[in-house]
Amino acid sequence: MAAPARSKRPRSGKSQPRIDAQPVFILHQYAYRETSRLLDIFSRDHGRLTVVARGARRPGSQLRGVLMAFQPLLLSWFGGGEVKTLHAADWQGGLAHPVGSPLLCGFYINELLMRLLPREDPHPHLFAAYYDAVRQLSVLPTDAGVQVEPILRGFELAMLSGLGYGLDFAHEVNGQAVQPARQYAFVGGQGFFAAAPGQGRFDGEVLLELAAGNVTGERTLAQAKLLMRQALGSVLGEQPLHTRQLLLDLQRL
Amino acid sequence: MSTPSSLQNLIDALRVLPGVGPKSASRMAYHLLQRDQPGANDLAHALMHALGTLRHCRDCNTFTEAEVCEICADERRTREQLCVVEMPTDLLMVEQTLAYHGLYFVLMGRLSPLDGIGTQDIAFARLLERASDGVVQEVILSTNFTVEGEATAHYLAEMLRARGLQVSRIARGLPVGGELEHVDPGTLAQALVERRKL
Ligand SMILES: [Zn+2]
Repeated sequence: MAAPARSKRPRSGKSQPRIDAQPVFILHQYAYRETSRLLDIFSRDHGRLTVVARGARRPGSQLRGVLMAFQPLLLSWFGGGEVKTLHAADWQGGLAHPVGSPLLCGFYINELLMRLLPREDPHPHLFAAYYDAVRQLSVLPTDAGVQVEPILRGFELAMLSGLGYGLDFAHEVNGQAVQPARQYAFVGGQGFFAAAPGQGRFDGEVLLELAAGNVTGERTLAQAKLLMRQALGSVLGEQPLHTRQLLLDLQRL
Repeated sequence: MSTPSSLQNLIDALRVLPGVGPKSASRMAYHLLQRDQPGANDLAHALMHALGTLRHCRDCNTFTEAEVCEICADERRTREQLCVVEMPTDLLMVEQTLAYHGLYFVLMGRLSPLDGIGTQDIAFARLLERASDGVVQEVILSTNFTVEGEATAHYLAEMLRARGLQVSRIARGLPVGGELEHVDPGTLAQALVERRKL
């Protein structure tokens, strides 16, 4: 169902770029002026954008129930500036709202994108990976535990490679092929180095699994978690992730 | 011509209000000073008075002028139920229903990890203390059905359950008198997901 955003259509004749029915997820939203909202969106073909939804905070606005994070939407907007103007919003359906611990994981991947995804830079493959991650999170129960891990690792890997920070799991920094029986150390921003037996934190066998895109099995998941933390740490820099703190607080209860 | 500093100070001060940018702030300042000086005077006094007299209720954390607010002090209320809401306006809405006779706890906010608002920034520790008084039997989580309200409810449920408290969440679904034909599909989809056994 389309919810009119109550924004005037662009005057005809003026060359205002206009996008229709674009697949989109809302990453975050902010109250804006008295009755509007600013949406931080991830769109399939146009990447991350800021869109203003005029009147979305008016009582009874139909947009209220549509503009929700973790729901696939079709948005139409116009405008050539930094902030686009929402023209229409359709709820696409098909995904339940993630709940409980999977919901917090959703916040985590949104925070990763908000920190690392540049604006107005299309990443359709990463969009597909995001859609997939949200879809998997949406079917998990409130108290999901380790089931979230392969979803998060899969998304982290897709994001790093999609944004150009991809790791070459099959080779050492010096170009030598990774051996399954050896152990390796990882240095953020560089890559893998062969380590003396017992010194490396990552098994060659695990790295080759990751190279093949297999993020399953207890040992692979445990080592991938450690590896992703190091790899993301070097990309994210000093400022910690708020969602990681929240997940830690939750574990401490 | 430059703006006199006292006028500029007022404009800057008005910008603390949510949704007020430099333009609206200067419009407000000129209105107060030029068109409605008595109104400006009342506003200044009301603000100072509220700042001086209002505090948070010892028991429910809402704004009150006494140590304990009227609701918390009301002997007729059920003391076994505690309804947790985000803001005082939410408390007033639940009160209007006349359907709830228990007590409240007002968080004065919600978790919002993407805005950097974490567990230390909301009165969770005070709620935990309040709910563990030995009298409260059930905590009813009535935070909003936004993603932030849901995250807050999840965290609180885990926190309170770890203390052995019984926790429930207000229901969502079709509006009263709602006809399927006219309800928005998102609400209907969620109502199907959260259907209950009869
Ligand atoms: Zn009170």
